[in-house]
Amino acid sequence: MVERSQWCSALQALPEEQILSLAKEMLSVWQVRPKVIPQAGLGMLKLHDSALCEPFYLGEFPLASAWIEVETADGTLAEGAAQIMSARTELAEALALCDAVLAARLPGWQQVAELLAAGVAIRARIATERKRILSSTQVDFSLLDDVGGEDA
Amino acid sequence: MGYVAIKGGGRAIAGTKGVFDHLRTRQGEAGTPLDTDTIEQQLRLLHGRVISEGGVYAPQLASLALKQAQGDTLEAAFILRAYRSTQPRLTETPLLDTTKMRLTRRISAAFKDIPGGQMLGATTDYHLRMLRMELLKESSEEFRRISRDWFSSAPEADLPDSFPKVLDGLRQQGLLPQPDAAAAEREPFDITREPLIFPVPRSAALATMARAEQGSLLAIAYSNMRGYGDVHPTVAELRVGYLPVLLPHPITGELTEVGEVEMTECEVIAMYEDDADQSKAVFTLGYGACYGHNEVKAISMAILDRALQAGMKSGPRNPSEDPEFVLLHVDGIDSMGFCTHYKMPHYVTFQSDMDRLRTTRQKQTDKEQG
Repeated sequence: MVERSQWCSALQALPEEQILSLAKEMLSVWQVRPKVIPQAGLGMLKLHDSALCEPFYLGEFPLASAWIEVETADGTLAEGAAQIMSARTELAEALALCDAVLAARLPGWQQVAELLAAGVAIRARIATERKRILSSTQVDFSLLDDVGGEDA
Repeated sequence: MGYVAIKGGGRAIAGTKGVFDHLRTRQGEAGTPLDTDTIEQQLRLLHGRVISEGGVYAPQLASLALKQAQGDTLEAAFILRAYRSTQPRLTETPLLDTTKMRLTRRISAAFKDIPGGQMLGATTDYHLRMLRMELLKESSEEFRRISRDWFSSAPEADLPDSFPKVLDGLRQQGLLPQPDAAAAEREPFDITREPLIFPVPRSAALATMARAEQGSLLAIAYSNMRGYGDVHPTVAELRVGYLPVLLPHPITGELTEVGEVEMTECEVIAMYEDDADQSKAVFTLGYGACYGHNEVKAISMAILDRALQAGMKSGPRNPSEDPEFVLLHVDGIDSMGFCTHYKMPHYVTFQSDMDRLRTTRQKQTDKEQG
């Protein structure tokens, strides 16, 4: 299984409805309590410029976060959290639940793992598309050398 | 300047909303409402511009703003900026590193052979600027066929996930200035929280230009290129791609990807000068970056960054080197707001102008008549 640091982004690649409906199913039999009140707002993106290596803010991005504690029907406790580039706290809470289920291998974790695998596959397709964009436009300067041309 | 409260016009103002929306929908039965995905995908460069100038990476909201503003980029960026002003600031990322960008384009005008190679990506640089008449009546089938065919015909690629920077090689050869360790540790200036009171640090200039209006940046950078300045840039590297946005996981503390932003980044190499701390001459550098795919903006910003560094160091010799001149005139929302406020009623101030003109003319007449 992929590392926990990739779970949230992989699951976000799926249609939201899939995550929300799975979370709803789990919530119908478990108790979920927020460890921290879910929030939606903005994050600031801090970069270092690659010329002189000075930090600066490129801009902002929407951010929703959730940190929950879940108690299963048999009394097992687990914690999960999620932060996403979206204004939807409902989705962040659902992803935090998935995080808890996967981390603690709570009942039904295989369902979440299947979704995770589907998300990973979508991200792999996107990565492949980007690499094909690069490979189909890769410049072969040797062609110019063959005809004795000089590039300006 | 004076203002006066006036009454009336409420019905007319309410009517403008209806008329504005009517013009958006006047195709009537034959029309289809624009959906936000279509705007994001098919008008991607326009969309990226609004994200960049709005200063917040919210693709769906940027599409909505464009739809609502009926394609006016300044108005759309204004709507997005207004939205962000209603949102609380939750956190900031750790310092992110653009060498981790998942690239879709990467070129250098400085070297033919760069580590990893040059890849043109999606560009119109080599296209003829001739109308493609076949797009006038493009069918849905044809649209889907293009998408399908491209993917099946594009070559398989065994490429790395990220690429080294062209500047790294020059830095290793000692041809670039050494990074300022103190500046690298300094907290960056937050233009969303603090007003620009000059002199401002370079981080304020970079942040201001990153969300500046493209045409304004280009105009001032162009003045430098044409001769009101002497940057003489060479594009060391121009890259477009997606930067993973990382935040610590609330439970584990491990850096976790929360999403990605499309961005354009440009480094220019400019004329060399003696390094203040080194005995030998080194190239000078300029840096540009913005949300979205916007090469003109990134290159213009990099040129202006270099020009402003010169102005901050030795005093401005032309407008593009003057931080106050550049940074206070490139924000689209500021400049558009000032410009369009002239449409608003100035009845009292203009009445005053008329009174003064009449008085002056009367005095002149009195003088002429002795």
